[in-house]
Amino acid sequence: MSTDAPHILAEHRRSRLLDELFVVDFDVHINETPADLAPFCELPWRKALEALTRVPHRYLDIPAFAPNFSPWVGAALPTIERRTTVTSAAQLRADLDLLGVDVGVLFPDSFLLHALIKPPAYAAALARAYNRWLVEVWLAEDRGLRGALLAPNQDPVAAAAEIRRYAGHPLVGCVYLPTCCVDPLYGDPCYDPMFDAAQECGLPVVLHSVTAINPVFPFNLQEYDTLFSVHSLAHTLSMIANAVRMLETGVPVRFPELRIAFTEGGIGWVPWLCMRLDKEYSERRRDVPLLTERPSHYLRRMFYATQPIEEPEHMGDMATLMSLFGGEDCVIFASDWPHHDFDHPDKVLQIPLSDEARGKVMGANGARLLGIEVPAR
Amino acid sequence: MSAEHELCDAAAIAPGEHRVVEVAGRQIGIFNVGGSFYALPNACFHQNGPLCRGIVSGTLQADAASDFAPQWRLDGEVVICPWHSLEFHIRTGRSLAYPERRLPTYPVRVDAGRLVLTL
Repeated sequence: MSTDAPHILAEHRRSRLLDELFVVDFDVHINETPADLAPFCELPWRKALEALTRVPHRYLDIPAFAPNFSPWVGAALPTIERRTTVTSAAQLRADLDLLGVDVGVLFPDSFLLHALIKPPAYAAALARAYNRWLVEVWLAEDRGLRGALLAPNQDPVAAAAEIRRYAGHPLVGCVYLPTCCVDPLYGDPCYDPMFDAAQECGLPVVLHSVTAINPVFPFNLQEYDTLFSVHSLAHTLSMIANAVRMLETGVPVRFPELRIAFTEGGIGWVPWLCMRLDKEYSERRRDVPLLTERPSHYLRRMFYATQPIEEPEHMGDMATLMSLFGGEDCVIFASDWPHHDFDHPDKVLQIPLSDEARGKVMGANGARLLGIEVPAR
Repeated sequence: MSAEHELCDAAAIAPGEHRVVEVAGRQIGIFNVGGSFYALPNACFHQNGPLCRGIVSGTLQADAASDFAPQWRLDGEVVICPWHSLEFHIRTGRSLAYPERRLPTYPVRVDAGRLVLTL
């Protein structure tokens, strides 16, 4: 009668609609450790990773790669005891099957904080090791997984070389831009070589942040005491800060074929930014003469991952919110599996959209971004 | 129409323990809170997570009675969904984050040392 604890995704009942839809999940996480990466890392940094294999590894911490500062009192009170990492492609495939996801785009765990790593030569070597490991271990066969190349912002020329090195790989789908504590913000001209390579290779760039307190804007959140506050702000503010900087320096004009996506900030901020910048543009157009169209014109051509999807009392309000920025064509589903705040695809399916719009948001938009065809069903 | 289902020896779920059982095709969490038994559905109203697979804990509350200092309360009476950490009061099914929402609760009684669930 009693049952042993099953897989954490095995017991829920998901909607039948998920079996009919082609679902692309633009944010799932794989767990990289120093031991994993050491064999793929060049000297002398391989020596560092080999030494660091003896450092205890904790969830989303980077004791192995760079110092992290985690003062969260609330986190000392345990709430969940479940697996929050994925350690093999087979395990991830099984998880995604239970979630009803056809294609997952892989992002790292610890390297969500990659932009904090110094010196630049170490950061670039780690990125090269991660990308080799990603391609040789996780993308060795087609399991419906697509890789996001780690672009080391500390060395944009090295990042451009990585993009060109792997762009022809059929399972490499995009470029991951570490956004937590990135300094300077994306849009700064120092990153032009990276954007040039991504545009030339046809690979979208995907911004992904994480929680941190750091002097770098907008992570100077030391005023706050709790993850309630910092986690709420860090992800979304960093997306906004980088989007504004990229518009200010005319990235979408100077790189017209470059596709840009934002993850883990939800989508509620997008209509606000469209309206706020359009308002400002009407008065200060001469500040940004590169922008020949209103800012919202460019923002509507970028892509926005759903997670953490906003959950108003009436999910119909989310359909209205999406209509404010043409979300049907630029919103892409993401779960953030297996992290603590992942979204089940059924939650996004609760947004009352047309069948066509639902198909785009749950899969077709993401597939278009990855350059894969939606199979006929 | 409700029906009674005999589950197991009451001694099999000690105070502080809980388990998930399948009864009439439904997954139900059975909790022993200080010697009293409670039952909740194993599905969170938030995103349908397996709520009753979560840990049993207490919670922090702060109000005028505590001079707005956080107090550890409801120890052993709160189950936390393993998907997204939503807290539920086991005795009442009440959500702590959404007090206006409750999970259904099902009666569990002890009959001659056996647990009997009414669904």
